[in-house]
Amino acid sequence: MSSTIVFDAETIPALTEQKPQTPWGRRTGKFRLVVVLAIVIPALIVGSLFMFSTLPGAVIMVAVYFPLQIIATVLAAISVRGTKSAGDAVIIVSAIGATIFSGIVLISLLWSIITKGIQAMSTAFIFQNNEYISPSTPLGYGGIGHAVLGTVLIVGISALIAVPLGVMTALYITEVRGRAVPYVRFFVQAMSGVPSVVAGLFILTVLILTGVLNNSAFAAGLAYSILMLPTVARTAEEVLKLVPEELRTGALALGSTRARVALRVVVPAAKTGIITAAILGVARVVGETAPLLLTALKNDKTVLNPFSEPISALPTYIFTNVAQPYPDAVLRAWGAALALMVIVAVLFTVTRVLSAKRPGK
Amino acid sequence: MSTAEYDEVAVQELESDFAIEAPVGQAEMETRDVSVWFGKRKVLEGVNIAFPRNTVTALIGPSGCGKSTFIRTLNRLHELIPSAALAGEVLYKGQDIYAPEIDPVHIRLNIGMVFQKPNPFPSMTIRGNVLSGLKLSGMKRSNHDDIVEETLTHAGLWNEVKDRLNHAAGDLSGGQQQRLVIARALAVQPDVLLMDEPCSALDPGSTLKIEETIRELSNDITIIIVTHNMQQAVRVADNTAFFLATDGNPGHVVEQGPTTDIFGNPQDQRTLDYVNGRFG
Amino acid sequence: MSDVEAPVLRDLQSAATSHRGDRIFNRTIAAAAFTALIVLGGITIFLGAQAIPVLQQQGLAFLTTSEWNPPDYGIWGMLYGSVLLAIIALVIAVPASLLLSVFMVFLAPKPLATVLTNLVDLMAAIPSVIIGLWAFYVLAPVSEGWQQLMNQYLGWIPIFQNDSGNFSGTPFTAGFVLAIMMIPIVTSVTREVLGRTPPELINASEALGCSLWSMLRYVALPYGRGGLVGGVMLGLGRALGETIAVFFVLKIVFDPVNYYKIIESGGGSVATLIVSKFGEASGPYETQLLLAAGFFLFMMTLVVNVIANLIVNRTGRLQS
Repeated sequence: MSSTIVFDAETIPALTEQKPQTPWGRRTGKFRLVVVLAIVIPALIVGSLFMFSTLPGAVIMVAVYFPLQIIATVLAAISVRGTKSAGDAVIIVSAIGATIFSGIVLISLLWSIITKGIQAMSTAFIFQNNEYISPSTPLGYGGIGHAVLGTVLIVGISALIAVPLGVMTALYITEVRGRAVPYVRFFVQAMSGVPSVVAGLFILTVLILTGVLNNSAFAAGLAYSILMLPTVARTAEEVLKLVPEELRTGALALGSTRARVALRVVVPAAKTGIITAAILGVARVVGETAPLLLTALKNDKTVLNPFSEPISALPTYIFTNVAQPYPDAVLRAWGAALALMVIVAVLFTVTRVLSAKRPGK
Repeated sequence: MSTAEYDEVAVQELESDFAIEAPVGQAEMETRDVSVWFGKRKVLEGVNIAFPRNTVTALIGPSGCGKSTFIRTLNRLHELIPSAALAGEVLYKGQDIYAPEIDPVHIRLNIGMVFQKPNPFPSMTIRGNVLSGLKLSGMKRSNHDDIVEETLTHAGLWNEVKDRLNHAAGDLSGGQQQRLVIARALAVQPDVLLMDEPCSALDPGSTLKIEETIRELSNDITIIIVTHNMQQAVRVADNTAFFLATDGNPGHVVEQGPTTDIFGNPQDQRTLDYVNGRFG
Repeated sequence: MSDVEAPVLRDLQSAATSHRGDRIFNRTIAAAAFTALIVLGGITIFLGAQAIPVLQQQGLAFLTTSEWNPPDYGIWGMLYGSVLLAIIALVIAVPASLLLSVFMVFLAPKPLATVLTNLVDLMAAIPSVIIGLWAFYVLAPVSEGWQQLMNQYLGWIPIFQNDSGNFSGTPFTAGFVLAIMMIPIVTSVTREVLGRTPPELINASEALGCSLWSMLRYVALPYGRGGLVGGVMLGLGRALGETIAVFFVLKIVFDPVNYYKIIESGGGSVATLIVSKFGEASGPYETQLLLAAGFFLFMMTLVVNVIANLIVNRTGRLQS
């Protein structure tokens, strides 16, 4: 360049006619042809297999279509972009395949629950209990009322125990300056790995076999709280950590005790998060069956006293109706599964909504 | 190991897309009427700059006027942003890099980039970092030790790290990391090196070292550097383009030309005001 | 009181808890916090207390032999079976989860990625009894068909042998179910880990002209290595302890122990053993045996979990 150039819009007539474009989206004819071939040829091969062979669909998809599609995509990629893109082709096809696989599983699950569960649904089903019902009784009589109540009682008891304990544990980890804090975190983490059957065995050994407690809702609630506490504690800890330090310092500067800071400032600031932690804890346990089988056993009647006798909850109801030779009993299991799934879905949605509303998220 | 052997391999890699030399009289890189949008918002308009071979061009201007966005259109990083759109042409050795048959990955091997915050790969050693460009792009070269030495020397870092090539890259200072990043970019043998405010996160000592490196490198490659620091532009650049965006309007190049002219004898009042520090 | 010549350090720490309200508060929440320790210790002690007499009575044969015919009891087949099922589950779930998270983080457009994230988390919330119900009625019959074909075409490979012609209640089906339960957990963790790869590293590799595969191999995966391993191990811990879903699809067999024929009917799982024998336990001794089995299960899952958390915590700190 010999001297400076000053911008003058007039010299650029094209400027006014310019439209935003995405030239990187344009593809050559060769590219398009190759993509079409890479999709169509495997599909044709697989389609004809579906029509003319007796192999089950899933096998065709996994054993034939998937490798074929990979090979086709790899060849397409190499022809357009060179050998180094072969790895990418494999990954992309595999990743899409994994996603489709997971999607199919989830859809199958939800589909079965909804379509089969609906068949058992009726007002009677929701509210009645199973007291006079045997597995061979047709639908229309008896229901999950007692089991729903059982779930509410047992989960309620465990929430009453585990939520305060969990929040206090979280408070200890975030608010107290102690040397024991990392150990507490470690133990809480270890506790979250306790299998549900072991939690049931523990309560069984310590409280039921020794005669302190009956097989009851209360015993089951204790077993559930072992599973709930780590979830509540960990979520609450994360949420409490999000509360800005300035709030605490400001309150201390005003002459507040640490206790008041924690209870009057930090906890209210993290209110929504703590509720979320509690709900997550509930969602964690609401479907656990093994502890119930060991501590609350089973009962077809409606039970109101949480200390006195065995009680059924929704998971127990499902469990006892599976593998029955009577199709109606099986449908009852599906119906209960649908009810349980609705509860889980509601809890899940509430958690998501609450998390989205949280300020600073 | 000779550069001739480098070039031979480079020739085989690049022959499919580009001629080795631009046609006579053609700048190494050139933009024609480039306008840039994010969604519906036009952020740059009508940018026409030619970048001659083996020169350093500085892009100056107040923050927010689109310089960083512009430089990302030169190595096709711009399109990775979801709402990005573009009009106009970007020519590299006379060929539009946005033509449908061009592989963007290939562009980035020829047009390298150094970012504002040094970003060496922390899990790799110094040596590993230099060679990472080769690994990531799948380029095959057999003389790794020579490449490491040559690029680190060009980047002005060899003497400081030659005894600890197997140490973690994260242990280096900011200025050293940035020079390591330059060496890494050089290892894939680009013809053009884009630098987006490479010294703004560094101390003055490292800044001067890198400016030395830039001047040396410009004997072999074309450099385009975005900078906030006008003295840097004066120290380092052969040509300068001054970008400006007034409220609400898309950015554009107010004036461009040899650095001495832009700073010594600007034609436009706004250029005069900016280089005299009256705003920015 | 203070010396003029040398400065006397003031005691700052005891002032912090001199207020009575604070003391009560601290003690209360400390007590709550140690519940975790008490429970863990309690489980170890009380279940361990059941295991001791059993080991005394049966000797080490309790752990090394596999049978359930009074008075001989041995859970080796169950211990091995739990591990075998976990391995099958891992082989299926780890690649699937990794690929699924790669899709969610690097390939899918944002809205799709958000939908997928929610779906994966929803899947993780599905109770295991429902998955067991589905597995029994929907998956198992289909799985039998697959296994027949596997035996037909791949039967020359030892793991795909089947001598009984019975393809139900196999480790493969049970492992597959466990994999389905593991995938959402592992995917959640993996997705978060991959998503945390610093954008400047990804920028650097893009500017260097890398492909997706090499970016994953040299940048994203090495960076997230600790979190990924931790996530897999957490899923593994879950698989070892899973009871109900396996209960519906696995046939518990003590003798002979099914070591490698994964599509052969019959396998083992400690957790499932406990639940299935519990209802028919013929006396306090049999109950004690099951409690002892529970103790060993607890030890297994505890070890896996502790290692997982150590890995995640240690590399978490390094990465910052």
